[in-house]
Amino acid sequence: MEDPDAPLVARARRGDRWAFEQLVERHQHRLFNLAARTLGSADDAADAVQEAFIRAWLGLPRFRGGSLFSTWLYRITLNAAHDQRAKRRSDPLGERPELADPRDAFTASELSSELQAALDGLDEEFRIAVVLYDILGCSYGEIAALTDVPEGTVKSRIFRGRRRLAEQLGTRADEG
Amino acid sequence: MAEQHPDDIELFDYVEDDLAPARRAEVGAHLVTCKVCTEQVRRVEAGRDALRSAQFMHLSERRAEGVFMNLPTQAREPGRMRALSPKQLLAVLTPLIAIAAVVGVLVSSGTGSNDSNGAAAGATAGGAAGAGGAAENAPVRQAPAFSMAGDASQIAAELRQKGFDATVRSKQVVVSGAKKSDVREALADHGPGDVEIVVEPVKNP
Repeated sequence: MEDPDAPLVARARRGDRWAFEQLVERHQHRLFNLAARTLGSADDAADAVQEAFIRAWLGLPRFRGGSLFSTWLYRITLNAAHDQRAKRRSDPLGERPELADPRDAFTASELSSELQAALDGLDEEFRIAVVLYDILGCSYGEIAALTDVPEGTVKSRIFRGRRRLAEQLGTRADEG
Repeated sequence: MAEQHPDDIELFDYVEDDLAPARRAEVGAHLVTCKVCTEQVRRVEAGRDALRSAQFMHLSERRAEGVFMNLPTQAREPGRMRALSPKQLLAVLTPLIAIAAVVGVLVSSGTGSNDSNGAAAGATAGGAAGAGGAAENAPVRQAPAFSMAGDASQIAAELRQKGFDATVRSKQVVVSGAKKSDVREALADHGPGDVEIVVEPVKNP
């Protein structure tokens, strides 16, 4: 599959910061959604995305194009989100910047929704699978490559993740 | 013998409409009689609909800017040097250029007979701005030049798109407030040619 990011990636690999900035602008919001939906926190997600882009920039000279650039970025973001979660657990009262951008208010509202609460209640492997497939529109192949499992396992995780999510939402509705 | 239930993957493929027509008909027939599988399909569809109603969120501009401002030197020597992008470079250089200009004016007007003091002040200002060897009271036109292939207007436009202050003057592309190495890097895709690139470490007043 031809990677639509390939021309910019080739330039960024040679140290062209402008090309990398174009890649950041192209992918930043999708990565933010991935991190925010898996972490359930806008601040932690923004930190994870920032860290992911720094890791991507530093790792670009080693990126050989074995996968789509976006898939590579998703993997780095998931790793950064994982590290961010561990960091938050070890320092739960760590610095949390103020929400100043109007977009932050929308994000905060979205992350306090019933849907997010149900997502937070899923096992991580199910949460990642449904976020990648149903929210970000990734293919089974991409998710399989990202999570190092066969496509059949990806389907099974989406199936069980959706089912559990519906049960959680139903439970919450019943409680309400 | 009781009819076997389709497994998770087959039920998922049924929901996603990914089954072959014959198998889809068989699973559909099973669902008519099996409340357990029908309930599973209903829940999975409800979960899918909830997820697809999720709103797309945007990273705030402040946090997005933070990505650029915190970008270190690339992996060739990770973490050892901090290089600046054109945007960062302009943000850092602008106040330093202003200070250097004021110092230059003061030195040239107040110490006309004292060349050694002027030299020291000018060299300090030039060094702080990272302008690559600007000497005391040096005319800004003394910046080094190199040549690139292409059209001068297009090269200037490309540089402006990359955050440089670039204009075309007398068939030269003049880049103000930048480092020669950054301009070279930005034009790495161009081969040598006859369009002269002038890099001015200090903007013309």
